[in-house]
Amino acid sequence: MDLNYTPEDIAFRKQVRAWLEENLPRKEIRTLDDRLGWHRKLYEAGYLGMGWPKEYGGGGARPMEQAIVADELARSKAPAPANSLGIGIVGPTVIVHGTDAQKKRYLKKILTAEELWCQLYSEPNAGSDLAALKTSAVDQGDHFLVNGQKIWTSGGKVAHWGLLLARTDTKVPKHKGISCFLMNMRQPGVDVRPLKQITGSSEFCEVFMTNARVEKSDQMGKLGEGWAIAQTTLGYERGGRALARVTNYASQHSRLVEAAKKMRRHGKPLIEDPLVRQKIGRIWADIEVERYQALRTLTQLERGEHPGAGGSLTKLSYSELEKRYMELALEILGPYGQLTEGAPKEFQLEIDTAVGEQGSWAYAYLWSRAGTIYAGSSEIQKNVIGERILGLPKETRADRVGGKA
Amino acid sequence: MNFSFSDDQVLLKNSVRAALEEHCKSAHVRAMADDAKGYSDDLWGEMGKLGWLGLPFPEEHGGAGLGLVELAILLEEMGRAAYPGPFFSTVVLGGLGLTLGGTPAQKDKWLPAIASGRARMTAALLEEHLDWDPASTTASATKSGSGWILSGVKRFVPWAHVADAILVPARSAEGLSLFLLDPKSVGVTLSPMKGIDLSNRWSEMRLDKVAVGAEAIMSQPGGAATVLESLLRRAAVCASADMLGAARRCLDMSVEYVKVREQFGQPIGSFQAIRHRCAEMLLEAENAHAAVYYAAWALTAGAEDAAVASSICKSYVNEAARRVCGDSIQVHGGIGFTWEYDLHLYMKRAKALEPLYGDTEYHRELITRHAISAR
Ligand SMILES: Cc1cc2nc3c(=O)[nH]c(=O)nc-3n(C[C@H](O)[C@H](O)[C@H](O)COP(=O)(O)OP(=O)(O)OC[C@H]3O[C@@H](n4cnc5c(N)ncnc54)[C@H](O)[C@@H]3O)c2cc1C
Repeated sequence: MDLNYTPEDIAFRKQVRAWLEENLPRKEIRTLDDRLGWHRKLYEAGYLGMGWPKEYGGGGARPMEQAIVADELARSKAPAPANSLGIGIVGPTVIVHGTDAQKKRYLKKILTAEELWCQLYSEPNAGSDLAALKTSAVDQGDHFLVNGQKIWTSGGKVAHWGLLLARTDTKVPKHKGISCFLMNMRQPGVDVRPLKQITGSSEFCEVFMTNARVEKSDQMGKLGEGWAIAQTTLGYERGGRALARVTNYASQHSRLVEAAKKMRRHGKPLIEDPLVRQKIGRIWADIEVERYQALRTLTQLERGEHPGAGGSLTKLSYSELEKRYMELALEILGPYGQLTEGAPKEFQLEIDTAVGEQGSWAYAYLWSRAGTIYAGSSEIQKNVIGERILGLPKETRADRVGGKA
Repeated sequence: MNFSFSDDQVLLKNSVRAALEEHCKSAHVRAMADDAKGYSDDLWGEMGKLGWLGLPFPEEHGGAGLGLVELAILLEEMGRAAYPGPFFSTVVLGGLGLTLGGTPAQKDKWLPAIASGRARMTAALLEEHLDWDPASTTASATKSGSGWILSGVKRFVPWAHVADAILVPARSAEGLSLFLLDPKSVGVTLSPMKGIDLSNRWSEMRLDKVAVGAEAIMSQPGGAATVLESLLRRAAVCASADMLGAARRCLDMSVEYVKVREQFGQPIGSFQAIRHRCAEMLLEAENAHAAVYYAAWALTAGAEDAAVASSICKSYVNEAARRVCGDSIQVHGGIGFTWEYDLHLYMKRAKALEPLYGDTEYHRELITRHAISAR
């Protein structure tokens, strides 16, 4: 065990930090174009797709280097790049399952954000039970025709392309009849309607597909193997992003401490209230434990091991922590915590305008409700942990009895 | 950066587990609960031969020169086995206390004696008001000739009834000082205390004008505060390792049990209410593992955040161990509530360690002080 960073990693971190000091956007990111501009800058510096193969525009970097870049971006409160699903999920999936032609056609454009992506998995009646999806893709000889509805599609409004799961066979058990496709979102049969979220903003959408077209060359993997592809996709636990997440939490925490120094109760600064101090100490401990765990995951990744079902532990841990954290933060802040506008600067989450509307505690609090739902809810993660890590017996479920679809 | 055990550390873990599985079965723990002394000299001798008793001491004092990570590995296994005996009090409180604050003569005399199994030790860190802050010490030390006179009351002194020497903090004219006391000295009264934990013993210790010689004082008069703070941090992390072991044992027993126990025609582990609880127990145990070994490494390496890491460790593990051990009883149902079944041995051990070397609130307060001054 040695938790010191190597001299190379320390030097690399310095280099990233210096680059950020030079290049961080000074102006607030307001439009998609602003964000794309920042995205390209990051890409040109070699800070996106760092772990992807070099031949497709990636950097072939080690997990630790990726983690350091993500961490420094968080530390400097840099705005997020565009195309997060493209880079986080679609690209890695194409790298593992795509044909050479697909890799050549798509990967570079994901990295440059020339083409933005979304993930078309969930349906109104297929969320946790993803294999229950009904959207169909019917073979027309030279292409597929897609009909059905997707929902909760993050970034659907701006996406050029979507990673699609659709049913290609209704006569086999439900997990076996699903295939994976790359679908053009900018075509007549695709109708995208934004949904308003509890945050008041509209990041996710409904997608209606009526005789939409998918080329044969855009089928990924073999027909009927979409489920296995979806499993690997969902397994891309962002081990390398864990450190960055913690850095984020920690900088929020210091804002919370500052706010508690400014607020007063019973004629004294709130920070002197023992109950408040207990909450502040508890959150700090939880955040730090998350950091230690991030270092453990990085150790695994650096050795070339895949965390596998361990990713479920990570996801369960941070998403539940975030919920606890935001609940305690809002308790400490009292009525200021739930303001979206008009709070005095010292009771806002961020004074850095680059992060836009995410600058309020209320927004962060509401967002903390999403992590335990998307990418496999906490309940689903616990099922995975129980079955795959602890080896507990599977429950009897209708969809596992006698191949019922 | 590498957060996994080295081959040597894995070897140590495996050999400690094997030895404890052979010599410290639950029958042994139960037998020692009824023993007057509460531990076995044979096993103590064995531990000396295996090199456990000198593990963290410098080689020049008969030790193995290893760090807190290795000590935590050893203690995690002891927690897992609910090992009954004065290992913690001797090696952690006495031994590390001496390495941190002993005079050269004291180290020469005591460390080899501990390592070889000849001496048992402990420290009297708590007083009547059960305040972990060393600054709260009220026991007094007054100069008398070349020596000192000690007076005061100490509470929850672990394994004092078998100790050959006890570290005793007391306030002298110079400030907070630390003394090495022979418990057989005139004026020392020990009253035994028994708690739910069958594998540990404590005593209340009264010091009624106890005369000690000049050689009894450690470090220098008035210079004990930093020694005590360092010792307390190490004790907190070591106790956490012990509790982690107890919690892991409860988790392992639970997972095995829910795979085979059937109700409603199915193993109960197939029910989500049980499975989800087991998944949460695993998460707590894994996080506790990270907290213990990070802090153990940080203290050994002298990392900048070592002090706060030890507080994070104890406050986190206190709650994690409580939940994991408590939930293990729940998923076992009635059998988990019996004396016959072993779960309670580990659950009680963790529970008894929870308030020791800093309870959750104490450590959270230290973390908050750190957070306030951090930026
Ligand atoms: C902010 C956000 C962004 C999203 N972005 C995308 C996206 O880009 N693309 C995409 O395809 N999807 C996306 N999703 C959808 C997300 O993956 C689903 O919401 C999620 O899988 C849960 O499905 P559901 O909403 O249908 O809930 P349901 O599956 O109906 O679940 C409802 C409740 O029942 C519980 N439950 C369900 N099954 C079980 C079980 N077997 N055992 C125990 N409890 C169970 C769940 O845990 C939950 O508490 C997003 C969701 C959110 C909130």
